[in-house]
Amino acid sequence: MIFRAVEDADLIRKARLGDVEAYNLLISRWEKRVYNYLLRIVRNREEALDLSQDVFLKAYQNLRKLEDPARFAPWLYRIAHNEAFSAFRKRRPEGDVLASEPAVEQIPVGGTGAFPIELSIAVTTALGRLTDDQREVVVLKIYQGFKFEEMAEILSCPVSTVKSRLYTALDVLKTQLAPVKSRGVT
Amino acid sequence: MSCSPFDLRDYFFGELAETERRQMDLHLRNCSGCHEDLDRLRITHSTMLALRDEEVPQRIGFVSDKVFEPSPVRRWWLSFWGSSGRLGFASAAMLSVALAGFTFYRPAGAAPPIAAAQVDTARIEAQVAERVGAAVEKAVADSESRQARKTAEMVAATERRFQEQRKADMDSVADELTYLKKQHGVMVLATNEYGGGR
Repeated sequence: MIFRAVEDADLIRKARLGDVEAYNLLISRWEKRVYNYLLRIVRNREEALDLSQDVFLKAYQNLRKLEDPARFAPWLYRIAHNEAFSAFRKRRPEGDVLASEPAVEQIPVGGTGAFPIELSIAVTTALGRLTDDQREVVVLKIYQGFKFEEMAEILSCPVSTVKSRLYTALDVLKTQLAPVKSRGVT
Repeated sequence: MSCSPFDLRDYFFGELAETERRQMDLHLRNCSGCHEDLDRLRITHSTMLALRDEEVPQRIGFVSDKVFEPSPVRRWWLSFWGSSGRLGFASAAMLSVALAGFTFYRPAGAAPPIAAAQVDTARIEAQVAERVGAAVEKAVADSESRQARKTAEMVAATERRFQEQRKADMDSVADELTYLKKQHGVMVLATNEYGGGR
């Protein structure tokens, strides 16, 4: 458990009163998570960074609408979700599904450090084979650690839909990643 | 995943209630098939975690702009009204100060007003006493005049009744006298007639 001398709720209260430094501190706590969430959804670093900035700007502008500061995380990710799917719609006009493909980076995100690059490439490729909705629930659950209830709040859909998307995606990922694991790349 | 009492994936992701989780623990000790499914889930999950978070290429931050910032007074005011606890405490403190001031505070400059108040009070009391005395005198006079009038009326009535009674008595005596005179006349007449016949 991480002890924080100043809770997010305190920073939110100060930011609501116009304390920009308090909000910058709040950003520093959340920017990495939000950026990686967006990066795994839009699969483009530059776009993920732009969207992250937009997310935090919109969050600042709408901070007074946040009823319960304890629910800041789902609320922030709800904004991020809307920004990401808004970007999808701009990138991919209706009836033009393939238009998004050139904008997607096929290089693996992350992957350095203790894990072999080959495994990162395999995971990135497997994630790329999921639909946008499936990929998002995988990111929210496996990488961001949200509960089903919170995911339903972020995505504005029932918990049953969240579970259905996630478990379908897991079946796909299991199939995709099985050969990699069987080759012993761990 | 067919024979487990609950969804093995819910169990893996920690989404089951405590009692359900315990049941799954017991089931997994005795079911090798579900145990293998759970291991496959773990492997997939750990493989997914090979993809690590990246650092943000450029820090996100906002610059404080004095033009758009609320003034310190406004910030304090918003903060004050934004905290119900602080507002309640301030109200209680103001009430306490007012009570204490009312109870203990006696300003030196307040003496003349108090003396003036005392003078005014004496004057008012004198006026009130005067008015009360006048009212009492008037009430007594009224009462006395009413009493005298009633007494006079009673005396007059008694006199009238006495006169009426006297007149009635006189009439009665007169009638009796007339009757007696007639009786006497009859007797005289009878006597004369009896004496003259002998």
